[in-house]
Amino acid sequence: MSVANNKDVIVCEGVKKWFGDFQALKGIDAVVKEQEVVVVIGPSGSGKSTFIRCINRLEAHQEGTIIVDGIELTNDVRNIDKIRSEVGMVFQQFNLFPHLTILDNISLAPLWVRKQPRREAEEEAMALLERVGIPEQADKFPGQLSGGQQQRVAIARALAMKPKIMLFDEPTSALDPEMIKEVLDVMKELARSGMTMIVVTHEMGFAREVADRVLFFDYGLVVEEGTPAHFFDNPQHDRTKLFLSQIL
Amino acid sequence: MLKWLAQVGVLALVLLFFRILGGEAAKNFARSDISFGFDWLGDPPGFSIREGIDLQPNSGIRALAVGGLNTLRVAFSGIIAATILGTIIGVARLSKNFIVNKLAGFYIETIRNVPLLLQMFFWQVLLMAQSSLTEGDVGSRIFSVSNKGVASIWVFPSTGFWPWFLIFLGGVYLSRKVARKRRTYQEDTGENGHPGLFGILTLLGIALVGWLVHPLLGFLSILWDGIGDLIGAIPAATVSLLIAGAAIVAAVVWIKRFLDSKRTPAGLGKLTDDDIFRMIFAGVSALFVVWIAFKVGGAVIAKPDGTDASVAAVLRDSFANIFYWFGDKFTGEAGSPLSVSKPAIELRGTGGFVQYADTGILATVPFFSVWIAVTLYTASFIAEIIRGGILAVAKGQTEASQALGLRRGQYLRLVILPQAFRIILPPLGNQYLNLAKNTSLGTAVAFGEIVAVGATLINQTGQSLPIVIVWMAFYLILSLSLSGVVNYYNRRMALVER
Repeated sequence: MSVANNKDVIVCEGVKKWFGDFQALKGIDAVVKEQEVVVVIGPSGSGKSTFIRCINRLEAHQEGTIIVDGIELTNDVRNIDKIRSEVGMVFQQFNLFPHLTILDNISLAPLWVRKQPRREAEEEAMALLERVGIPEQADKFPGQLSGGQQQRVAIARALAMKPKIMLFDEPTSALDPEMIKEVLDVMKELARSGMTMIVVTHEMGFAREVADRVLFFDYGLVVEEGTPAHFFDNPQHDRTKLFLSQIL
Repeated sequence: MLKWLAQVGVLALVLLFFRILGGEAAKNFARSDISFGFDWLGDPPGFSIREGIDLQPNSGIRALAVGGLNTLRVAFSGIIAATILGTIIGVARLSKNFIVNKLAGFYIETIRNVPLLLQMFFWQVLLMAQSSLTEGDVGSRIFSVSNKGVASIWVFPSTGFWPWFLIFLGGVYLSRKVARKRRTYQEDTGENGHPGLFGILTLLGIALVGWLVHPLLGFLSILWDGIGDLIGAIPAATVSLLIAGAAIVAAVVWIKRFLDSKRTPAGLGKLTDDDIFRMIFAGVSALFVVWIAFKVGGAVIAKPDGTDASVAAVLRDSFANIFYWFGDKFTGEAGSPLSVSKPAIELRGTGGFVQYADTGILATVPFFSVWIAVTLYTASFIAEIIRGGILAVAKGQTEASQALGLRRGQYLRLVILPQAFRIILPPLGNQYLNLAKNTSLGTAVAFGEIVAVGATLINQTGQSLPIVIVWMAFYLILSLSLSGVVNYYNRRMALVER
């Protein structure tokens, strides 16, 4: 995939974030282009989850600028609403709504945020369930589905808002090994369809196969950045070499 | 087999325990020349009650009924008020506003850590220290506080209430249909169908029309009276028979359903000891009801009006009286459905005795002390339950909603509260039970609830054991009804899990 000439959709400059005395992000500079798949890896506590949670303002950054699709993230609620309706997010713990059926989980936001007619919203929800491969589960509740199925529903729920950008926060970390593949397959299909994606993951195979670019985080900084081939086969930084030697 | 023997053995031990206690008590009662029975139910109690539907009850049962109604009055108004106040305080406790948050915390910590009885005394003392009514106060007011209580303007159902209410209920049904239709329209077309607005307008319209035309329903009084006559014509023995029959049918149906629920495609599944015990229990309960129906149903008691009748006949007549009561309310000459009534202060008697007239709504000092104390006290517990319920909904639910672009009000209503409600409901039901039972402390501030009335009856008649049994039965029925309602909603709200 060549995305070199596409425009920048996410621009971060000097993003800093503190939790009390602890500084989680120490000045992140990163650019994501349209249709690009960026995989963020790094040891736990390195700030990678905090970073993508700042992009849709689930966490507020304290210094630096984040511009998403031309809109700067500030305390202005209107900007936050606008960005959130363009950025979908998938969580490690799925976070499906346990009191709603699968179909209602997916159509909730289109109904209330996009104000779509219910019939239209449900038809689109069914189409998304077909896309992630579980249309037969539409009338069940989240508690009745396996972890892999729940995470696929969560992806469909995020896609229902027709986002331009998808954020994945360790989407396979809470899954049994045999369910990881079904979720990764859905994500690969999504990447091939041209979705802009930022994926925090420990799945190196996925990064190597799908990513256009890899960001390596450590202690709140981007330590190394490059194409998968460059990153996995020819890392420059000692910290990256150590990390890769431990996990590969 | 051993398990069965053990269960029967335990049951026998329990029965023996009560047999010994009961026998001993009976011996001592006999020695002190007290014979227990239920004659006092029909006898004039020989005292008056300070507030309630009947200040001069003409029988023991009537006196207890007045006390019971006072208990229900304070319990239900307390439950409603405590729920509203508790919810407000609980949400305030979660507020990010420092002052609101700390005030709510202060309220909870002070109120729930002071014994309820002392709080009742506090309100009683506070009210009795208000200035007394003087001749200068005579006249009507909107609101008035004095050492006689708290009086306020109020809306009462008036002579035409019931016919109008019937039309109003029809309006509720119709407005729901209209709202549903508008919602389907909205979902089909995507245009705003204003279902809520249409529903409310329909209801208001029908209520207004009903206000004008409700005397037309006067003919229904013939229908109500007819039903009453029909029921009144049933022979007394048939009533016992009907009750017995209903019990047997209920038991048979229950056992059949129970067996059906155990049936698998492969035939009847294996029944556990517990299952068998349940079926035996259902059968024995039905037989017990049959025994009661014939044993007690045939017994002759004195009616309040002095004549004798069997219990079954009294039961039948009071059931018929419900319909006669409705018949009375549906006479064609009905006036306006609701009337506003202002409290008035009047001079009664020649001695210059100033007090509240029977208009408006008056919370007497005892009633108000009990009501405000149980409300404030229970609200502090409800507040903590509400706060805990909202906090117990996982943080991920809020984050997922925010990531989807839902606004705060939307995700609170659509995601957080439905889940919090499930967590809140069971402990909330416990608080309702506590509140209902705590009203019995009202006897300490001379509130004429069922315990106070019963205690006076014991003083007058010496029939301690039967009256204690009536107390216990009253609170048991009240508590079981309350928890029945709560459990019903709890089951309906249950999450579907694997």
